[in-house]
Amino acid sequence: MSGEDCDVDRGDNDGQKSDKMFTLKKWNAVAMWSWDVECDTCAICRVQVMDACLRCQGESKKDSYGKQDCVVVWGECNHSFHFCCMSLWVKQNNRCPLCQQEWSIQRMGK
Amino acid sequence: MMSLKPRNVDFQETWANLKETVAGVVGLRAVERAVWNTRFSDVYALCVAHPEPLADRLYDETRNFLEEHVSGLLQRVRGTAPLENNDHNDGLLTRYVTAWREYSQGVAYLNSLYSYLNLQHIKRQKVSDAEIIYGSAATACSPDQDSRQLEVGELGLVIWERVLITPLASALTGRIVSALSEARSHPPDPTSADILRQAIHSTVDVQAFRVRAPLALYQQLVLEPYLSAASGHHAQFAAELLHHGDISHYMKHVLEGLEREIALGGRFLHASSTEAVRACYERAAVAAHLPALHAETERLLREACDDGPRADQRRSDLKRMYALLKPLACAGALRPLVEQAHAQAARDGRALLAAPHARDEAHIHFVNSMLALHGKYSKLFGEVFDGAQAFIGALDKACSEVVNGRAAEAGAASRAPELLARYCDALLRRRGAGAEQEADDKLAGAIVVFKYVCDKDVFQKYYARALARRLIHQLSASMEQEESMINRLKAACGYEFTNKLHRMFTDVTVSADLNAKFQQHLRENNLSTNTGFFIQVLQAGAWPLGGAMAPLAPPAQLERPARLFEAFYRASFSGRRLAWLHHLCTGELRTRYTTRVYHISATTPQCALLLCFETVDSAPARELRESLQLAGDAWPRHVRPLLDAGLLLASGDGEGSAPDSGDDDGPHGTLTLNLNFSCKRTKVRLTCANAPAQQGGSGGGGASGEGNEVTHCDDDRKMYLQAALVRIMKQRKVLRHTELIQEVVSQARGSFAPSVAMIKKCIEALIDKQYLERAPGTLDTYSYLA
Ligand SMILES: [Zn+2]
Ligand SMILES: [Zn+2]
Ligand SMILES: [Zn+2]
Repeated sequence: MSGEDCDVDRGDNDGQKSDKMFTLKKWNAVAMWSWDVECDTCAICRVQVMDACLRCQGESKKDSYGKQDCVVVWGECNHSFHFCCMSLWVKQNNRCPLCQQEWSIQRMGK
Repeated sequence: MMSLKPRNVDFQETWANLKETVAGVVGLRAVERAVWNTRFSDVYALCVAHPEPLADRLYDETRNFLEEHVSGLLQRVRGTAPLENNDHNDGLLTRYVTAWREYSQGVAYLNSLYSYLNLQHIKRQKVSDAEIIYGSAATACSPDQDSRQLEVGELGLVIWERVLITPLASALTGRIVSALSEARSHPPDPTSADILRQAIHSTVDVQAFRVRAPLALYQQLVLEPYLSAASGHHAQFAAELLHHGDISHYMKHVLEGLEREIALGGRFLHASSTEAVRACYERAAVAAHLPALHAETERLLREACDDGPRADQRRSDLKRMYALLKPLACAGALRPLVEQAHAQAARDGRALLAAPHARDEAHIHFVNSMLALHGKYSKLFGEVFDGAQAFIGALDKACSEVVNGRAAEAGAASRAPELLARYCDALLRRRGAGAEQEADDKLAGAIVVFKYVCDKDVFQKYYARALARRLIHQLSASMEQEESMINRLKAACGYEFTNKLHRMFTDVTVSADLNAKFQQHLRENNLSTNTGFFIQVLQAGAWPLGGAMAPLAPPAQLERPARLFEAFYRASFSGRRLAWLHHLCTGELRTRYTTRVYHISATTPQCALLLCFETVDSAPARELRESLQLAGDAWPRHVRPLLDAGLLLASGDGEGSAPDSGDDDGPHGTLTLNLNFSCKRTKVRLTCANAPAQQGGSGGGGASGEGNEVTHCDDDRKMYLQAALVRIMKQRKVLRHTELIQEVVSQARGSFAPSVAMIKKCIEALIDKQYLERAPGTLDTYSYLA
């Protein structure tokens, strides 16, 4: 997993710009992604949206790592939930559990 | 030729002739074939006689004759010697066996001579087997009573028993028992042995036709009296062994005695008696001395386990002790041995752990000690106790106690999870070439120890932190090895246990792909980051990195690749937010102002700080801090290593950046780039101290915050229990409280031992969240809400 292949060596240029004090050769960056949500916790199952919902965790799927199938969904009201949790919820009540607005999907996590 | 037609028969005359032949047959005298045939017909003629069949009369007369004959034999057998002295060499047994051989053979012939009577007359009225077994008590108890007719051969045997054996019973028993006792120490000559064996087996043969209790006579006359005499002998034998020697001496000879006894029984007694002989011996010679045996178990185990000169001898002793105690296991005879085996292993294990060792090698010492303990006792118990389940269990219990170190301080957390995780970390880090196989074997050993760790979830936390470090800083020796270790843990503990480890591992794989796509994206759009760039994108929640993401205003050199990547990432995914973990990023700088070129590897904030000196040689520390927006303790943590390495110099009111300045206004001093920097090595690697543990940002190497993992686990345990409860209830729909608790405990056992109180809390939480409800009309039953 080393990034040697992306390391573009500019060693040849080093001699010309002698006024510089440092040359930045490479940057190994680390970033963390999370769903862009107002609240980290799904209000329906009260599990962090970054984790699979309670039902998906219960399934203990052997080889999928539980993540891909359990994405986040945003409503027009901008409230977000596990997609699994919301799909079960709307079968009984087509309103957002947090603001009671009519539920309609604004976007899905990918 | 024999006529088949019924006719008048003169009983007196026919019987007189028949009787003469019967006497000849029973006395084993030669009978001519013609005479035999005639008498055979006579039996038939009497049975079918007209007008009145004479079979009953024939039967009665035959019985009278046999009784008289056996009475005569009794006199012959009894002889003149006194019966009471029980001298087995007085000839009684020989005379008895001689008479028995002749008579039993004769009666067998007689039975064929009376074939017709047996078949046509007796069989018809013979009580069926079923009736004998299940019928009325009267029939069942007296199959040989006179009122019922028997086949003539059987009749002969019954008469022998009643007329000859009964009066001689105690004389026979006395002689048989005394002969057997003597045979134990002085094997008899073949003839005497033969006489003894036949005498014994005659008591079996005489009742062999009986359906019920065919061995009753044998048991009464031979087996029981023999065993009761033997028992006294064995008791004395064992007592003398214990009196004259130590326990080793006793066990060795008692086992030899058992073999002798079984062999003796096999030679003379009925085959069915082996178990009775063995049980009698074990009762008298072993069971009676259990306290003496049990008293030595601790010493024998101890001496078998040290490396002293007696260890071999003691292993043989233990093998014998196990052989002696095992048959008495159902009476609990093995329990003290099992308990001592457990105590010995536990004692030894604690001693191994307490042995002196280098402080920084505590993890190696811990795992090696546990493997030594496990290996030593698996081998020992396999060898001396046949690997019996009870002893494997005792070893497991001992290992588990030692590993988790409960004894030391009640309530204190065991160090096992941390030490074991450290051990794995050391093995999985990059190292000298050629050690791959060795590391693999050691990792397999770590799994052996892992299985004994109680708080597996605490281990998981430590392991996850170390794994995060290895993955982020690319310190792993091999990704195959990383993956295979995660799979080993999964095999030992299940999917939930390794779920997050798998997710971390997947992130690294996905990142490699992402970098390739990003570089392609740059090429296709004629863009450049102007510097080497590699990124790892981690998913929040899976990595034990906490939230300490120090805000930073990165310099232009870093700003550009960051913005390019963010744009690329936003276009590739949707609904995601990206945060830079600057304290985990590293930059590689090359110095241009020094006589030698130095390669400096440093965190992003450190790189940013150095890059500030592109335009100035020195600047006020406070100004630098503000321009980088490095807040709070992040400033001294990043600056200190630069000062220590000599790249920067602090002046003015000196160490304004010292971590202990405790000054909210920030540093007051001035930082200057050391233009005369020099170092022996051309590669300079700068690290930064960990953020305090409660901030959770300790991904950057070095020791992690200890003790934190334990409390951190509580939330995860609740999460785990709730998922398990949902899984169980989804499958079972309706379940009683106690059953539900049991199921959850058994599912969680793989990673920790949950308290009932915690499970109850989780059930309440699920009822709140409307996953479960109390089943209507019940107090202790839950049902699942889909
Ligand atoms: Zn949810
Ligand atoms: Zn789900
Ligand atoms: Zn809403």
